[in-house]
Amino acid sequence: MSTALQVSNLVKRFGGLVATNNLSFSLKEGESLGLIGPNGAGKTTVFSQIMGELRQNSGTIELFGDEISTLSTPQRIRAGVSRTYQIPRPFGEMSVAENIRVGLMPDNIWQMIVSPPDTRRERELALSVGFLKADLGRMPTELAMGDLRKLEMARTMATAPKVMLLDEVFAGLTTGEIAQISDLIQSMRKDGMTFLIVSHDLPALEPLIDRAIAIERGTMIAEGTFSEVMNDKAVQASYLGGV
Amino acid sequence: MGLRWFHFALWGGLIVGMLLLPQVVSNGTLRTMIFANYLAIFAISWDVLSGRTGYVSFGHPFLIGIGAYTTAILTKRFDVPVEISIPVAVLFTMIAGLLVLLPALRIRGSYFALVTLAFMELLYQLVQVIRPDLTGGTRGMSGIQTLTRGAANGYYLSTTLMLTIAVSMWLLMKTRLGTALSAIGMNEESVRGSGLSTTRLKAFAFLTSAMIAGLGGAFYVHYLGSLAPRALFDINFLFTIIVAALLGGTSTIIGPMIGAFFMTFLLEYLRPVLPGAERYFVYGAIALLLYMYQPKGLVELVRRGFKSLNKGRTA
Repeated sequence: MSTALQVSNLVKRFGGLVATNNLSFSLKEGESLGLIGPNGAGKTTVFSQIMGELRQNSGTIELFGDEISTLSTPQRIRAGVSRTYQIPRPFGEMSVAENIRVGLMPDNIWQMIVSPPDTRRERELALSVGFLKADLGRMPTELAMGDLRKLEMARTMATAPKVMLLDEVFAGLTTGEIAQISDLIQSMRKDGMTFLIVSHDLPALEPLIDRAIAIERGTMIAEGTFSEVMNDKAVQASYLGGV
Repeated sequence: MGLRWFHFALWGGLIVGMLLLPQVVSNGTLRTMIFANYLAIFAISWDVLSGRTGYVSFGHPFLIGIGAYTTAILTKRFDVPVEISIPVAVLFTMIAGLLVLLPALRIRGSYFALVTLAFMELLYQLVQVIRPDLTGGTRGMSGIQTLTRGAANGYYLSTTLMLTIAVSMWLLMKTRLGTALSAIGMNEESVRGSGLSTTRLKAFAFLTSAMIAGLGGAFYVHYLGSLAPRALFDINFLFTIIVAALLGGTSTIIGPMIGAFFMTFLLEYLRPVLPGAERYFVYGAIALLLYMYQPKGLVELVRRGFKSLNKGRTA
């Protein structure tokens, strides 16, 4: 298996605060990696740097062997990496189908004008995350948090990523919705999708990942299988408050 | 967002109705409609940019002015035929549109609005001091070639221009491009997060908006036959454009048209009763009330009317 994502010696400073401290990790193609740590550990900052929403002070990010640090966010997405956000960001005055449509669009104005929307693919993506056909015309204001997360997943999947970064994908979901999203992730893993997943819901996260890394204040403190990381003394001291 | 047969039927009905109008209304009404047509063009231009992307432009008179001044100077001072001067004016306005785009790459919201307002004021000052022999300075220009004679011909020309722009923009905004531009207005970061270059999309919106403003400005000056900088680069003119778009309903193309006609006729009918600036209080109050109770504008009221008609028919 080749390396899908390689993060090397990543450093991000906000004034005097070091948010990412010489962080290195890699993800093999088809692998699922959990990124865990307490609140404020810098997990979302790592995501933002991979996506180009924040520029690192130093270090490199490679996607399938190509350095992507100089690319803009849309270019990185076209290169094959996409993310969901902790707080869903739907297009408020567009239906579920139209929200997914934006993710499916080519980054080419002429193509946007001349080729019609792929409504079949919109429906497929909506159904794959657990929406019903009747939901396609619903507006985000009518959706519960779980549905908004599903919509976020569908729009991210619409960009045809090879590597998906999922940020707190279970936050605010009911047990049933967690099971639904988990099933979706498992089925995508079987299809070869590569995942980097941040979640505070550790029981839900465990079955979805091959290994985990734990960070604290931007520094990696443990790496290994889920149980190895959770049994690590440093992790227990920082993340679990020493229990 | 899809196209339906009744959309084309409605456009067809509107086009036929507007073209038959000179047979039934007075020349005075036609002249009012000419102004409404040009206001509709300017409001559509504003809507394509600001109504869609949420980048509120206070600089549209700047774009309209570039178009108007370019063709006026070319035809009056250099005897360039209008067949050439108008396309050149549109091209110049599009280049100016790119200048307006530059701040939008870094700022948005009220800051963007203020920067674009500065563009309008800048051009007002410049036309007075730079080559007044060409621009006419503070007095402006008169004796500019007109394209039509008589109210009916002026009406047909302005109506054809306005409807061509409106239908083209309506069709364009019905495509996925329209969806993407609207998405920028809702959440620009999410559009970038969906893999789309917002810079490219915004540039397209700015250029299209500038093209319409330039085209409208050029034809408008060839209708008026004169050009007064204080009237063109005027805050009232700017707000009339914006209020027409908001009143009619932004992001719809048809809304700014309805808003432009509503406002032009409202102000015209109020003129005998309230001849002074107090007319603007009345339209301000109507705009405020409508915006409070129906922020989606007059077009939403029309849409609801059609829906209830349809319900009544199927019941």
